[in-house]
Amino acid sequence: MTRVTTSLVPTVRPRRAKSGLRRLGQVLTPVWLPLLLIAVWWFATANSTSPFFPPLGDILVDTWNQWVVFGAWTNAVVSVRNLLIGYVFGTLIGIIGGSLLWRLRYLRVAMNPIIYFLYVLPAPALLPAMIAIFGIGDMRQIALIALGSIWPTLLNTLDGMRGVDTVKFDTAKALRLGGWRTYFRLVLPGAGPQIAAGLRASLTVGIVLMVVSEMVAANSGIGFFILQAQAEFAIKKMWTGILVLALIGTVLNYLFVFVERRALRWYYRSRALGSS
Amino acid sequence: MRRNPHAWLNWALPLITVVAVLAFWQAITVGGIVSPAQFPTMSDTMGALAGEVASGRVWPAIGATLIGWLIGMVITIVLGLIIGTALAFNGFAQRSAAPVIEIFKAIPAIAILPLVILVAGSTLPMKVFLVCFAAFWPFLIQVIYGVRSMDPIVLDTARALGIRGARRFLAISIPSSSPYLVTGMRIASAQALILCIVAEIVGGAAGIGRNILLAQNSGVVAYPTMYAYIIVAGILGVALTGAFFLLEKRVMHWHESQRNIRASNVVGAA
Repeated sequence: MTRVTTSLVPTVRPRRAKSGLRRLGQVLTPVWLPLLLIAVWWFATANSTSPFFPPLGDILVDTWNQWVVFGAWTNAVVSVRNLLIGYVFGTLIGIIGGSLLWRLRYLRVAMNPIIYFLYVLPAPALLPAMIAIFGIGDMRQIALIALGSIWPTLLNTLDGMRGVDTVKFDTAKALRLGGWRTYFRLVLPGAGPQIAAGLRASLTVGIVLMVVSEMVAANSGIGFFILQAQAEFAIKKMWTGILVLALIGTVLNYLFVFVERRALRWYYRSRALGSS
Repeated sequence: MRRNPHAWLNWALPLITVVAVLAFWQAITVGGIVSPAQFPTMSDTMGALAGEVASGRVWPAIGATLIGWLIGMVITIVLGLIIGTALAFNGFAQRSAAPVIEIFKAIPAIAILPLVILVAGSTLPMKVFLVCFAAFWPFLIQVIYGVRSMDPIVLDTARALGIRGARRFLAISIPSSSPYLVTGMRIASAQALILCIVAEIVGGAAGIGRNILLAQNSGVVAYPTMYAYIIVAGILGVALTGAFFLLEKRVMHWHESQRNIRASNVVGAA
């Protein structure tokens, strides 16, 4: 499972081009296609009379009105707050649980079927059960997000720790590193790249669960906003919600990649050296 | 081969745990620690599951979920292989497409769910479209990485032998990158199953998800049925993911990570 790649964004900064034209090309290459797609969207819907696809310009104006002027942004705040609380809880449990299972071989063998079942169980299927247990409210959202984001992190932590080379443990033993120091200096960093992959998978699951639980039973949040607009057949309003949700998802992912690059800089650097 | 005195633990421990968890579930629900309004007893749930299987109600639900998953996966894999390979062989195209792929991967597929429901209704095409939207981007990234990681010597050999076009794609690219592809398929499959369930719960398309929500809506009496369908969803996940794990093991058995994991899986080996 070391072949799970998290991102296409280049990890190594490209060498600075010497001529100005080359540099311009490097800047334009990643930008032209997104701009072209937006332009196509803009002009294709400019005179659109289809109820489902209103003009992009109208959607943007309406987004400003709905989310800033009319104060719908509170929905986004509620959603993101629930997501972050649940995500932090879930991933902490995941990392600690994964470490425990790595350390305790018998526990790992014993818990294997249960954890595997909970990991592959599509998390949204638990939503109705969570409604029955917690009722409707922020508590349920947070619990569901936490429950869903445990498993990808836990399993990736476990796999990453098991993938650490045994020779390194012998080295740690020879250096007389204690148990905890071996864990923090060797095992945790060694599993770092894979833990990061798990954390990212957890984030994806968390976002899905956030929106689904708001769509099914909630009275605030961005999923609620989108489905409410859809039920009122307020298509333009619904599009603004989709746009904001897409923006939140994209920003959270880029934020994640940014932090990951910072935290794992040593890893990417060593990999770049090895491949050159 | 040395006989391992603790080998029996490898199958006994998981079995004991499963039985213990089921017994614990039964104990706390019968003992009244958790009220039946929140959590049905294990025996009731298993009874409901048996009832659903015996009456045959469970099969159409599984079938509806699986067909959405299957069509979505086939479209995802075919499109992903073709587009991914094309992008991987052209640096400019890949650099141009990377930000678009990243952005679309970051957009949660359920964001567009209400729109798709409006356009397509609570139907199979709605489900398939959502499944593809969720599964396509992660798979595409794996394909690009897989093809790009190919040994350049293999490529040069293929060129020297005059293998190109569709034959290069089928005989060289796909086998060389297969470990990445299978991992990508496993990831895509998990995403696809999640989106199937979501499309059924929120979008009301026929399937396991809708049955879970229907049971929840009909009140406490139907809670065992609800948990029965949740278990069915889990079993489906086990079957699908397990199949891809097996495939992965078969095509990746030479890889270092698999060796380490196999070695540390044996109880009492160290």
